[in-house]
This record gives sequence, structure tokens and C-alpha cells, in this order.
Amino acid sequence: MTDVLTRDLVVVPGTARTKDAAIREAGALLVDVGAVTPAYVDAMAERERLVSTYMGSQLAIPHGTDEAKSQILRSALCVIRYDEPIEWGPGQPVRVVVGIAGIGEEHLSILSRIALIFADPAQVDRVLEVPGAAELYGLIEQVNAA
Amino acid sequence: MSAAAAAPAAPTTRRGKRAQVRIQRFGAFLTAMIMPNLPAFLAWGLITTFFIAVGFTPNGILGGFGNADVMGWQGAATQLQLADDGTTFRQYLGLVGPMVTYLLPLLIANAGGRIVYGARGGVVASIATMGVVVGSTVPMFIGAMLVGPLAAWVMKKIDGIWAGKIRPGFEMLVDMFSAGIAGAAMSVGAFFGIAPIVTNVSQWLGNVVDWMAENSLLPLMSVIVEPAKVLFLNNAIGNGVLVPLGAQQVTENGQSLLFLVEANPGPGLGILLAYTLLGVGAARSTAPGAIIIQFLGGIHEVYFPFVLMKPALIVAAIVGGATGVATNAVFGSGLRGPAAPGSIFAVLAATPSGSYIGVILSVVLSAAVSFLIAAVILRASRNRDLAAGESGDLGAAIAQTEANKGKTSSSLSALADAQGLSTGERPAGGQLHTIVFACDGGMGSSAMGASILRDKLRKAGLTDVTVEFKAVAQLQDGADLVISQRELTDRARHQAPSSRHVSVDNFLSSPVYDEVVALAKSADATAGSAP
Repeated sequence: MTDVLTRDLVVVPGTARTKDAAIREAGALLVDVGAVTPAYVDAMAERERLVSTYMGSQLAIPHGTDEAKSQILRSALCVIRYDEPIEWGPGQPVRVVVGIAGIGEEHLSILSRIALIFADPAQVDRVLEVPGAAELYGLIEQVNAA
Repeated sequence: MSAAAAAPAAPTTRRGKRAQVRIQRFGAFLTAMIMPNLPAFLAWGLITTFFIAVGFTPNGILGGFGNADVMGWQGAATQLQLADDGTTFRQYLGLVGPMVTYLLPLLIANAGGRIVYGARGGVVASIATMGVVVGSTVPMFIGAMLVGPLAAWVMKKIDGIWAGKIRPGFEMLVDMFSAGIAGAAMSVGAFFGIAPIVTNVSQWLGNVVDWMAENSLLPLMSVIVEPAKVLFLNNAIGNGVLVPLGAQQVTENGQSLLFLVEANPGPGLGILLAYTLLGVGAARSTAPGAIIIQFLGGIHEVYFPFVLMKPALIVAAIVGGATGVATNAVFGSGLRGPAAPGSIFAVLAATPSGSYIGVILSVVLSAAVSFLIAAVILRASRNRDLAAGESGDLGAAIAQTEANKGKTSSSLSALADAQGLSTGERPAGGQLHTIVFACDGGMGSSAMGASILRDKLRKAGLTDVTVEFKAVAQLQDGADLVISQRELTDRARHQAPSSRHVSVDNFLSSPVYDEVVALAKSADATAGSAP
């Protein structure tokens, strides 16, 4: 796996209780590893107000707007799993938040692995059941990218 | 279909459906080429209505008939003009002529090129179209509608030759010069190759009308005149053929109905009224304004785009026009001189006192007949236009989205219907080769949706379907299918008017994916079994 998603970017469990806090939590992780500037986190929150990044299957993938791409220093992804579902929208419970900072195409192979995991209900169950961050990281690593 | 032909009936039906789909796509293409430029037509119509020599508020500077040596306004573009006494003077160019000669055809060419090959196609299309515009004295609308998309297509093919083979770092240089050189070459080619053809066609049409007038086939003249008008050859036919012939008749009879063949505002009024009552979206809301400019202002050009985007309406114009000519023939009515512009006021001003009944009836009857036929045509295609959002307009797009809401799984079948295929049938032609996922940023949701669909297609053994993803703002027209989030479908439809569109709520487990796979499978099977 490339350094787009490293072990320290997988967090279980996350501490946020609301959608806004979850986006900030994911954004802070990306800022900490030097992938984005703090302005990108604001763009993530802004983009969420425009169009929800709720994907279904208890997954949301907050990311910045097209204009905020200049705030990305390098492509990175973070994965946060929450013990209690966060209400992303009416009837949209989210247990897993994937924060995305993508320029170019480096992040796409991992993103498509995550997509394939969440398109398969059995795999989703495993993602929600594995005990810790290390196992979750391993699970994502195992998937064959399309 | 006779009983003897019963056996091959099935393939024939399929071919019929396929032809129907093609015609619909062609119609959507014409609409997308004309519709975005309607405001430019209206702007030009307004300027013309007011400022030409016979307008409401004639203005020599804007209307392009004033003498710059006499009038005070300096610095504007002028051209040398021969005065009656044989001397030359500087005449203002004005807005009217350059707008109809250059602006409108280039806008159409740009829109057409953009549909075929994005912004790059639009640029090359405009360059090439400049060749036909300047290569002839006839307004080059048909030239623009032909050359624009063609030039963009050629550029696309040329780019395809070295796509991916250029050393990194040189792409921009190659892109710049290839489009520049190809555009220059096509502009010259169109100048010598296409402009003379359109000029000849226009002359030939004039000769045919001439011949008809001599052989008393008067109402039949509308069969030539109305289509020629819509292709902006109205002045060539009107001033070039009908006015001279009419003037000759006036010296013999004191009046001529030939002045009313082209200038009768009735047929245009009928078509615009039909759009006002039965049109869809932007076309409908623009029509009432166009009526004022057309019927009162006499600038017929504003109704031409309404016919160009739905060519079947030419029937309404022809029959309406023929009705007007026949009415004048029956009543023996005509005009004393040319009615220019073809406004109802100009027509009445040129009517001799004995001809009022015939002339007014010819306008009223031609409008009524055109309206009825146009209404039937618009009515027949209305639901399809609404569903397909062919008007390129928001209201229709929303209606379509609403129709899909709550039954996402049937959205594709609704789509298939919009394409003229009933749900049970195999899609005509293998028309599902490119699918584009569109989202707001082009880095997240659409990428995930695309991976899932790619995976599903691969598992189904379908290898000739490309799945891409893009930011909505970067979306180009031309893909067979565009999938987007519900909130973004309107914008996507606006960016890619000729593509089919589907909305999804849930990018990860949408029933739409399985339907797309099924559709691609059947399209593949149809294409595979075709000879």
C-alpha cells in the first residue's frame, strides 16, 4: 500500500459525536500528517453544506471543494470508525468516516478498495466488527483493487 | 406492413426504433446548438427592430445606414459606401449587419463544436466557421451548423492520432499548435470548399422560386421559401427574387402578392403562439417576447431558431405560408411595394385600399393554420421533451428528477422510455459505451461510484464499457450515460445535454448499478448479434 493511507491515519474509535465534529476530526488528522492546510478543513465543512458526502452503508467521505485543491499538499486518506452512529442527515447513520485529500490519481486505488468494501454488506459487517485500528487497516489492505 | 412482410417485421421494427432514436438524438443536438444562443437572437432582433432605417427609432449609427462624414459620432467602425451621385462616403457599420453575419453564426458554431469536443472543439469550430462566413455574402447559418460540429469532430480525430504518445511536458505545446494549424487549415478549406456551395444553393433556390412564379405555382413557392427563410436565406430570396419580380408586377397591375410570400408575418406568429401555449421550458418562456419582435417589429429571424430546434415545424411554416399565398390569389390582393421589415405595420402600410380584406385574411389564416399544425407537432412530442429535458431547461429537468424520486429503481426504465425504447425491449444499437460519474469535486463520491460500477461490469464480463468520473463543472457532453447525485443532476444535465442522465441517492448500493449492467449486457448482445 502507498503512503496515501498509513497506519496512523486509521483511528478506532473516533471521539466526535456530531457530523461537524467528525469532519473536523478527520480534517485534523490530515493536517497533522502534513497533507493539507487548515484552510482545507474549512473547505471540507463547506462542501458538506453544499452536497452531503453520505454514501450509504454507514459511510461518509468528507472532502474539500474543487476550488480548495490548492490547499492539498499531498494526497492522503484517513479512516475513522465510531462506536456510536453519527447522525449525518435524517435517517443517515454513519459509523465510518473517510476523510479525503486527493490531487491527481494516487488516492484513487485506495478509494476504490474502500468503495468495493462498502458495496458488499458482508464486508461492511467485518469493517464494523474488527476490534481495533490495526485490524481495520489490515482489512482495507487485503482488498483487491478493481 | 403487409402480411407478406410479416416474417422480417421484427427487425424492421427494431430498425424503425433505431432510426427514431437517431432522429431524437439529432433533434437534441440541434436544440443544444441553438438554445443557448436564443438570447443573442433576441438581442439582435431588438436592436434591429429599433434601429434600422425602417425601425421604430431609426438610428444611423447603430442601424448601420448613417453617413459618418455628416453625423457627429466619431471613432466607430465605418465602411466606404457608394452614394447615389457616384461619390463615396463613410457609412457606419452599425450593430445589425455584423451581429447577424458574424456573431450569431459563430455562436452557433461554438455551441455545436462544444457539444462534440468541449471548449477545444468550440474554439476550432469557430475558427473554421469564420471561413464560410467570410467566403460568402449569404448569412452562414447552415454553414455554421455544418462546419462547426464537423470541425470539432475532425479536431477530436486528429487529437486521437497522438493521444498518449506525446512526451510529457510537450502536451500543451502540441495541443496549442495542432488546434491552431488544424483550425487555420479548416477555415481556408471552408472558405473555398463550403461557402461557394451554400452560395450556389441559395442562388438555385432563388431560380426555383423564379420559375414557380412564372408558372403560376404560387402557393407551392412556400415549399421553397419557408425552409430557405429558416436557414436565414430570407433576404436572399425576398430581396433577390421576390421583390424584383413583384416590382415588375406592380408596374403592370399596381400591386403584387409576391411581396407577401416572404414578408407575411403570419406563419411565424402561428409557430410562436404554439410554443407559447404548448412549448417546454426556456423555449416556451422566450416565445412571447419573440412574438413582439417578429410580428410587430417584423424581424422574422427570431422565430427561425424555434423551427431549427424542431425541424418538423417547417411543415407548419410551409402550409401556413401556402395558405397566405392562396388567400391572396383568391382575393386578388397584394401589396403596392415590399413590406420591409415584415412587420404587420409595414404590411398594412403597403396595402392598397382595395386589398385590405385579402391581405389581413392572408395574415390571419396563415397564422391560424401554422398555429394548428405546430400545436399538433409540439403536443405530440411534449411528453417526450419534458421527460428528456430536451429543452435544456431547469423545469423539465426537475420534473424528470421528481418523476424518478421515490422509485429510484425505475429511473433507468424511465430513461429508456425517454430514448424511445419501451422497457421490455432490447435497447436499440449498442449505445452504452461510455458512462461518466459526476460529483462536485471529482475526487471522492464519483470515484467510488465508478470503481463499484467498473467492478460490477468486469464481473459481468463487459469489457467495452468505459467508466469515468469527473467534477460536474468539468463534465463534457457526449457520454452515453451520466450518473450523478440527485442534487447535481440538474447541473450535469446542463453540462451534457445530449447524454442520458440518472440520479443516485446512495453511491454504494444503488439498484441503478445493476440496471446499468443489465442494460449494458443487452446492448452488448444486440450489438454482437447485429450483422
